[in-house]
Amino acid sequence: MQRVKFIDRMAQGKLSRREMLRSASAFGVGLTVLPRVARAQGGPLTCLEWGGYDAAEYVGAYVSKHGALPDFSIFSGEEEALAKVRAGFAADVMHPCNYSVARFVNAGLVNEIDTSKLSNWADVFPALQTAEGVVQDGKVVMAPADWGNSSIAYRSDLIDPAFAADPTWAIFYDEAYTGKVSMLDNELAFQIGAMVGGMPYDEAYKLSGAALEEAAKTWGAKAVNVSRFLWNDPSEVQQAMASGEIVAAYAWNDLVKNLKAEGIPVEYAKPKEGMFTWFCGLTMLNSGKADPALAYDFIDAWLSPETGKYLIESSGYGHANMKSFEAADPAEVAAMGITDPEAMMASAILFRTPTDEVQVEHNRVWGDIKALKM
Amino acid sequence: MTSGSARTGLSLLSPAFLVMAATLLAPVVALIVMSFWTQSGFEIDRTFTLANYSRLVEPGEGTVWYGIRFPLAYPVPAVLMVKSLAMSLVATICVIGVAWPMAYFLAFRVTRYKAMWMILLTIPFWTSYLLRVFSWKIVLGFNGAINSGLQWLGLIREPLEFLLYNPLAVMITLAHSWIAFSVLPIYVSLEKIDRTLLEAASDLGDSRWKRFRRITLPLSMPGTIAATLLVFIPTVGDYVTPTLVGGPGGTMIGSLVQQLFLRQDNAPMGAAISIVMMLIIAVLVGLFLWLIGYGRIRRRIG
Repeated sequence: MQRVKFIDRMAQGKLSRREMLRSASAFGVGLTVLPRVARAQGGPLTCLEWGGYDAAEYVGAYVSKHGALPDFSIFSGEEEALAKVRAGFAADVMHPCNYSVARFVNAGLVNEIDTSKLSNWADVFPALQTAEGVVQDGKVVMAPADWGNSSIAYRSDLIDPAFAADPTWAIFYDEAYTGKVSMLDNELAFQIGAMVGGMPYDEAYKLSGAALEEAAKTWGAKAVNVSRFLWNDPSEVQQAMASGEIVAAYAWNDLVKNLKAEGIPVEYAKPKEGMFTWFCGLTMLNSGKADPALAYDFIDAWLSPETGKYLIESSGYGHANMKSFEAADPAEVAAMGITDPEAMMASAILFRTPTDEVQVEHNRVWGDIKALKM
Repeated sequence: MTSGSARTGLSLLSPAFLVMAATLLAPVVALIVMSFWTQSGFEIDRTFTLANYSRLVEPGEGTVWYGIRFPLAYPVPAVLMVKSLAMSLVATICVIGVAWPMAYFLAFRVTRYKAMWMILLTIPFWTSYLLRVFSWKIVLGFNGAINSGLQWLGLIREPLEFLLYNPLAVMITLAHSWIAFSVLPIYVSLEKIDRTLLEAASDLGDSRWKRFRRITLPLSMPGTIAATLLVFIPTVGDYVTPTLVGGPGGTMIGSLVQQLFLRQDNAPMGAAISIVMMLIIAVLVGLFLWLIGYGRIRRRIG
């Protein structure tokens, strides 16, 4: 009936512009004409996740409470996820890292996390609770969840023994390894290159202007030419390592763990320029349509010791919850080496947050370098 | 045309026109408007400016790419444009080269079960475009079908690495994906050829080759041209194929537009490059049709 009335009134020209617009917006047409209106809460929970984390084991408590996994959207880098949200993708939870969460905060996309709603918050390492990135302007914007390394994984049976004796990031810029290695598809490619050239990371991550162009030309172009492919998808690089297509790759802890479980001779290098460390966590976005209580359940499930136990045992990553290390298999914990995030961050290079301007400049320079490969 | 038939024509056209207006015209207009804006960081500045377009042609130090100098301050779009056009051209030539004999066979040699042959031809469409592209990654890969096949035959010992992640892989994949699209238009124009013309040519003493060159080939031109455009235009801007099988070396202009929109916080520049790309393709197509004398062909056949 409503519909017939509407058409009648429209035909008689009795409909005001406001009513017309509102009706059009119901079709989605209004999206282009109207400013954003507050949306009703109550949609399904949508989470932007890294590939591999979209599994029930990481949020067991959430699945048992709500009966199903939330909707996942997989991203391969934080900048990609940021662009997706800014383009209008309605996500409730995002999984950024210490060095990238500021981008989301600066873009005005983040809601403060009320830690009193997280039952597992008290067990999070105190050092992580107050770490740079977690707290910004006195507000908790990211609930730390997982931490680990970035380094070089290599096939100990296929690689030159000279590299194994003295591992170095220079392997990604060495023409002798052309087509045999794979770097991450990220501006780190020339930042690490600059480190190989002798620049400390604390300068390399914020290179800009002419110095940046220079580093990109020297190191970025080399990384692009030497790499068999620049990887975005962890499973892609893992398969290439397993088949012997590449003998070394930029990798996180889980790749080594997974390949070792398959019986493939792979080692995780401690490069002389240093290995990297990071911690990531969950951030509540204001673009979501779901009830925030669902987001809190999801984050709380991630922080639980059960998730931590699974994370430690299956991927070799550290977890933010101190109790996870008591719950996990002691042999697996011992294999990790360092089990305290504070000691870990002291022992390796912690990724830093560049300013928005520098980040955008690095994105651009990296995109251009890749495009000009012959 | 009487006003009655004009009205019928317009009403027949209107559903398609409305759909086109909503899904093609409106976005293109939005793209044009956006290309005159600028963006810095997260903010879009909506003042009208030609900055994006002048940036594309601004002279500068430039770069040398395959021996061609690009003396521009921002040479990346120009380089990728040339590269995309060249790659599409090669793919299109391959497609026509393969599709033409197929269409000829279908039109002249197949006399029974034509419908079955047509269905066979559409089989590639039964899987999604994305899956067809992805399957090439498996075929060309390090442990893929070609490499393991050759290794099993003992022809090579180490897998060939030049198959994947380069422009060649992109061209092979594009050619395969678009062959089915081009067989049909060529087939239709071959099918339409009046067989008595061929008989007359033979009766008047033409050899088979001469008959083919003077009758079959010219009369198939409308379909062949349609097929060429149908393949060339969409492949220049293809994005999925270079992303999956191209690696950095196989990047095309579509990847750059995606980068500008989603990674480099510069949507207006991405819009400007899209517009310039459309204009370049339109000019090239116009030039192509003029060069081969399309109007003349139409008149002669029509």
